Amino acid sequence: MNTKWKLFLIATLAFPAQQVLSQDWMVPSDHTALTNPSEYNLENIKKGKELYTRNCQSCHGDPGKNNPLALLPLPVDIASERMHANSEGDLFYKITTGRGVMPPFESTISENERWKLINFIMNFKPGGNQLLVDAPPVKVKLLASVNENKSTVEILAEREDAESTGLENAPVIISAKKTFGNIELGRAITNENGRAEFTIPENVIGDEEGYVSIVVSMGDGYDAHEVALEKAKVGKNKVVPRLIKGEVLWSTNNNIQLWLLLSYISAAGGAWLVIGYAIYQIIKIKKLSKSS
Amino acid sequence: MNKIESPEESRKKFDRIFTDLTRSIVKKDELTRFWFFILLMFIGVGLWGWIIQIDKGLGVTGMRDYVSWGLYIANFVFFVAVSLVGLLISSVLQLLNFSWGKTISRAAEQIAIATVALAGIIIVMDMGRPDRLLNVFLHGRFASPIVWDLTVVSTYLAISVLLFYIPLIPDLAIMRDRMGSKVPAWKLKIYTILALGWNGNPQQYAIVYHAVRVLMILIIPIGLSIHTVTSWLFAATLRPGWDSTIFGPYFVVGAFVAGTAALIILMYVYRLRYGLKDYFDDFHFDKMGRLLVLVCLVYLYFNINEFLVPAYKMKSAEGVHLKDLFSGAYAFLFWFVQIAGIALPIVLIRIKYFRKPLPLSIISVFVLFSAWFKRYLIVIPTMEHPFLPVQNVPEHFHHYAPTSTEIMIMLFSFFTSIFIISVLAKFFPVITIWEYAEEKGIDRKYFTEKS
Ligand code: HEC
Repeated sequence: MNTKWKLFLIATLAFPAQQVLSQDWMVPSDHTALTNPSEYNLENIKKGKELYTRNCQSCHGDPGKNNPLALLPLPVDIASERMHANSEGDLFYKITTGRGVMPPFESTISENERWKLINFIMNFKPGGNQLLVDAPPVKVKLLASVNENKSTVEILAEREDAESTGLENAPVIISAKKTFGNIELGRAITNENGRAEFTIPENVIGDEEGYVSIVVSMGDGYDAHEVALEKAKVGKNKVVPRLIKGEVLWSTNNNIQLWLLLSYISAAGGAWLVIGYAIYQIIKIKKLSKSS
Repeated sequence: MNKIESPEESRKKFDRIFTDLTRSIVKKDELTRFWFFILLMFIGVGLWGWIIQIDKGLGVTGMRDYVSWGLYIANFVFFVAVSLVGLLISSVLQLLNFSWGKTISRAAEQIAIATVALAGIIIVMDMGRPDRLLNVFLHGRFASPIVWDLTVVSTYLAISVLLFYIPLIPDLAIMRDRMGSKVPAWKLKIYTILALGWNGNPQQYAIVYHAVRVLMILIIPIGLSIHTVTSWLFAATLRPGWDSTIFGPYFVVGAFVAGTAALIILMYVYRLRYGLKDYFDDFHFDKMGRLLVLVCLVYLYFNINEFLVPAYKMKSAEGVHLKDLFSGAYAFLFWFVQIAGIALPIVLIRIKYFRKPLPLSIISVFVLFSAWFKRYLIVIPTMEHPFLPVQNVPEHFHHYAPTSTEIMIMLFSFFTSIFIISVLAKFFPVITIWEYAEEKGIDRKYFTEKS
C-alpha cells in the first residue's frame, strides 16, 4: 500500500471521527467567561450536594465512582477530567440549556441554586481545594426493641470498637417493613449514651391485626447492620377490602345474589313441578284402568 | 277422515298399519345382528379408551394448559344441539298445528333422548376425576352457568323421556294385545308393565292429550334454555370469538339446523330399513327440506352477524382469531362448514328434486358433518388464542390436536347414541300407531280389539 492510499484511508476513517468531535458541546464565549457569583464555601457546597442528590445523581451517579446510568451518550462523572474541562460559565450554560437526554434545568432549578450546584461540582475539581470530604463510614452496632405498651422504639447505637462507647448525636432511621420495601416512619437522634427513643406515629397501618414489622437502620456515613424487629402490635388494623364481599354474580354460594337464587329455584323448581304433574297424570292413567 | 268405513275395512286398514309399524320390532335378520355387533364393538372400543384415560389421566388427551376444552366439549355442544330437534318437531310444530309433524315426532324424540343423555355422559368423560362428579352437585355454585347447564340438561332429558313415553302408552297396550307370539315373552311382559293396564277409555285418552300438551309447552323454555345456557358457557367468558351477545340465539338456530338434518337422515334410514315408504313419504321429506332451508337461512343470518361485525372492527385479539378462521390454519374447515353446512343446502334444497328422500338425506349428511365441525371451530381456535400471550410453555401447548384416545371416546358417544336409538326402535314403533291410525280415520275402538 502506498502512502497516497494510506492518506486517503486515514482521511476517510477520520471523517466520522471529525463528525463526532464536531458534536462537541459548543458554549457561546460570553457564557464561558461568566464567573460564579456563589461563594465557594462548605455551606454552599452542602446545599449543592443536596440539589445534586435530588436532581442529578440518578443519571450522573456518585461523584468519582463512575457509575452513571447507561444512557447514550453516557452522563459524565462530575469528578472527571472531562467535566472539569468546562469553565464554571460553561457548566452553567450546559445545566441551563441541556442537550439530548440531559434535561435543561432553566425552569426547574433557580439561577442561584444552579450556581450552588456548580460549587458542588467544583468540590471535585482534580487538584482543587476539596472542602467537603466524605469521612470513612463509622462502624456501628445497633440494638433496638419495641415497647408495645408505650408504642415506642428504644434504640442503642454503639461504636464497634474495643470500648463499645455509645454513639452520640447520630441520626437513626425507623421504618416499617412493607411488601415492596421499607417505608420510613421517622428519625431519632441518639443522646450522649448512644440511646434514642422514637414514638411510633399513631396513624401507622399494620397488617390486618395491626402488627407492624419495625426496621431500624442508619443513613449515609454509618456502617451498621439493619435491625429487623419482630412484629409488634403498634399500628392500626389494615382494612382489606374483601373482593367477594356482598352479592356479586361470580361469588360463592354464601354471597349469591338473592334474585339469582330465586330465579334459579323458581325456574328449576317450576319445571320439575310440571314434570311431577305429568308423572301424576301417568299414575292417574294407571288408576283409571283399574277402576273400569 | 270423515268418511265412515265398514268395520272390516277399518280392521284391515289398522292391521296393515300395525304390521308396518311394528316391523322394526319383529324384524330379525342377519343385518340387525350385524348392526348391533358393530355398535357394541365400537362402544367397547370407546369404553376401553375411557379406561385408559381414567388410568393414565387427562394427559392422554391433546388438551393442555391453554386448550383445556377440546374434542369432548365440541362433541358435547354438538349433542346438545342435535337434541333440540325434539323441541322443534314434537313441540313447536305440533303446537302450530302442523299435522305432518305427528308422524315424525317419535323419531325426533328418539334422537332427543339419545343425544341429550350422551351429552351428559360426554361431560363426565371430559372429567379428569369422574369419581368426584358428586362434588358438582354438592358444592356447585348457583351462580355458575355450569350448574345451570347441569340443571337444564337433566330437566330436558326428563321431559324428553316423558314426551316419548306418554304418547307411547296406547301403543304399548296395542302391542300387548296384538303381539302375541311375535315377540319373546319377556318383551311382552315389558309392554304389559309399561302399558299400565291401559284399556282405552276416553278419560285416559283425555289425560294423554292433556299431559302431552303440558309437556309440549314446558319443553319450549327448557329446550331454549338448554342450548342458550350451553352457549353461555362460552359467551360468559372474556375470550375472542366467544365474547358475543348473540351466542344464545346463534346456538339455538344452529341446533335446529343440526337436529333437522339428523332427523332427515333417521327418517330415511327407517323408510329404507323398515319399509315405511308410505309413512315417511315424499311429502314429509319435502316438508322437512323446506324446514331445513328455513332454519339454514336464519342460521346464515346469524353467521353473517357473528362474523361480519367483529371482522369489521378487527380488534387485536379478535383479529388474530378471525384471520385464523378466514385465511389461516382453520380456513379450510371454516369455509367448508359455511358452504356445505349452510350455503349449499339453501341453494340446492330450494330445487324440488333435492327435496326427494335420497338427495335430501345426502345433503343432510353434509349438513350434520358440518354442524359437528362447526362446534369444533367454535371451541378450539378460541382456546388457542387467549388474551394473555402464551409464554414459556412447551411447543405442543400452543396447538391442539385430538389424540387417538379422544377419538376413541368420541366414537363411543356416537355409537352409544345410535345404539340407544336402535334399541328404542327395536322395542317401540318408530311412529305412534294410534295417532297415525286415528289420522287415517280409524275409530279408537278397533285399537284395543285383540287380534
Ligand atoms: C436524565 C439524565 C440526566 C439528568 C437528570 C442530568 N443529566 Fe447531566 N447529562 C446527562 C447526559 C446524558 C449528558 C451528556 C449529554 C451530551 O453530551 O449530549 C449530560 C451532560 C451533563 C453535563 C455536560 C458534561 C460535558 O460533557 O460537558 C453537565 C455539566 C451536566 N450534565 C450536569 C448535570 C446536572 C448538574 C444535573 C442535575 C441538575 C444533571 N446533569 C442532570 C444526563 C443527565
